[in-house]
Amino acid sequence: MSIPDSTLNPEAVRHAERSMRSQRIKLHAGIFITLILLWEFGSRIGWLDPLFYPRPSNIMRSFWLIYVQNGNVWYHLYATMSLVFMGWIGGSILGVGLGALVGFNSLLRRFLKPYVIVLEATPRIAVAPLLIAALGFGAGSKIAIIMLVCFFAPFINTLSGVINVDEDRLELFRSMRASKMQVLRKLVFPDAIPIIMAGERLALTAALSGALVAEFIQRDEGIGSLILVYTRNLNMASAFSCIFTLTILGFLIFKGMEKIDHYVAFWKYENGRERVSAKRRAAMSQVGGIR
Amino acid sequence: MSAQKLPTSFWIFDFIFKVLPHLILFSLIIGLWEMAVSYGMITSIIIPRPSRIGSAIVKLYITEGTIYRHFFITLTESVVGFLIGASVAISLAVCSSLSENFKRYVIPYAVVLNVTPGIALTPVIIAWFGYGMGSKIALAAIISFFPIFVNTLTGLVQVDEDREELFQSLGATNYQVFSKFRVPAALPLMFAGLKIGLTTALIGAVVAEFAQATDGVGVLMSRFSFQLNMAASLATLLSMTLIGLLLFYTMEFLDDRIVFWRRENRRAAASRARARVWKKQLDNT
Repeated sequence: MSIPDSTLNPEAVRHAERSMRSQRIKLHAGIFITLILLWEFGSRIGWLDPLFYPRPSNIMRSFWLIYVQNGNVWYHLYATMSLVFMGWIGGSILGVGLGALVGFNSLLRRFLKPYVIVLEATPRIAVAPLLIAALGFGAGSKIAIIMLVCFFAPFINTLSGVINVDEDRLELFRSMRASKMQVLRKLVFPDAIPIIMAGERLALTAALSGALVAEFIQRDEGIGSLILVYTRNLNMASAFSCIFTLTILGFLIFKGMEKIDHYVAFWKYENGRERVSAKRRAAMSQVGGIR
Repeated sequence: MSAQKLPTSFWIFDFIFKVLPHLILFSLIIGLWEMAVSYGMITSIIIPRPSRIGSAIVKLYITEGTIYRHFFITLTESVVGFLIGASVAISLAVCSSLSENFKRYVIPYAVVLNVTPGIALTPVIIAWFGYGMGSKIALAAIISFFPIFVNTLTGLVQVDEDREELFQSLGATNYQVFSKFRVPAALPLMFAGLKIGLTTALIGAVVAEFAQATDGVGVLMSRFSFQLNMAASLATLLSMTLIGLLLFYTMEFLDDRIVFWRRENRRAAASRARARVWKKQLDNT
């Protein structure tokens, strides 16, 4: 039904699609607002204990409080995020490096396999108290925990990306007498980098969780300890606004990693491929012009 | 390879040759570690001697046996939490695969839940559900929800068009399409999600125990760490690894049995069993 429509009048179809989309957005917003209002009124009528289940209006107020009026969240946010990024970078360098090393060396792989299995089964966040006891309170042990937590995903993904090379393609490369370096650059990396990037994305999310756990235990600074303190004081509205802050942060991390992925592993995406080939085309035509 | 040429009684040699290098390396590392600590190259407070860890293991598991109670508490918490999270996740995923509208309205909330680090909810959940096992189960359920939901949904939605057409052209009912085609196609991915969910459920239980609890492996661990009793702390960590391995291999076993068509030997075993049943039915008639 829609096919003749679209051939007849694409403008009308686009218009219909747009109006359907706006209708959907309205419906979503309607449901969301209804839920929030239900929550608010349920709390005001007395179905929900406002001490434990804060009202949306109170949560909004404490957003204002912690961001603008008191502004105390910025310091903790900075404390957490700086450690998250440091630990993430350290952990992923370690993970990718070791993963590549183990992936290329079959002897090492054979001997490390049982340890990797054991490490995979251990909840890695559980090592947090041990590391805090070993390295003391403060930023050092936090970074160590974050590194440990985000080491594993890049490690495993690099390993599997390096190992799972398409045999047929490898044979083709060999039969065309590609050097080792060429095999690495033109075959192994293009296949492995999207997988590694997926691992990095997981690692960054894990890093945030690791930082939170470290802060729950240390209780000194950072958004995790802020949530803990607010909850202890039964200031649930502020605790919730911190948690929603983390939701926004998590969303930004997700989107940011997607963006980075589009640039680093551009060949996976249609528009990335087009962008790069357009750039190359321009460069090549310039070279031709000089000649 | 060589195992097939050798008589069956020689498999033990094969096994030994496979394991021996690992054992040698392991004991070499342990020996070096022991020497390094005893000569004072590593501070024994931070990294205890392997022999100390060994005696702590013996003490915790055999002579005193304190660990078992905590072990089973943490195991129960993570398994119950996982079961709750998995059942909610699977039912929501099935509903959203059946109804486009339902999916459209559930997914934004699921995504919001996903981008929030679930661990951040720990203090709030403890305030809501108390210091007992309830809060650990709740956190385990919340954390394990999303990977299961997203994998099941992907498996149910991502279907082979040609096969679906075949089903429809053979006049399959909606129920048949769902049970014979969509569910089997989704099961491998669902199990991958369940495995991830089970591991995260354990993490949730342990983290909630760190934050506030009286029993459980996490409590034991943080208590030992703050006493700087690193040997016992490492021995407790081992019990967490054991729980993790136990949960993982149970899931792997279920995966092998339920999604039997993915593995050659399991497929063969399942078809043998079916052949036996059919033969029996034939004999009876």
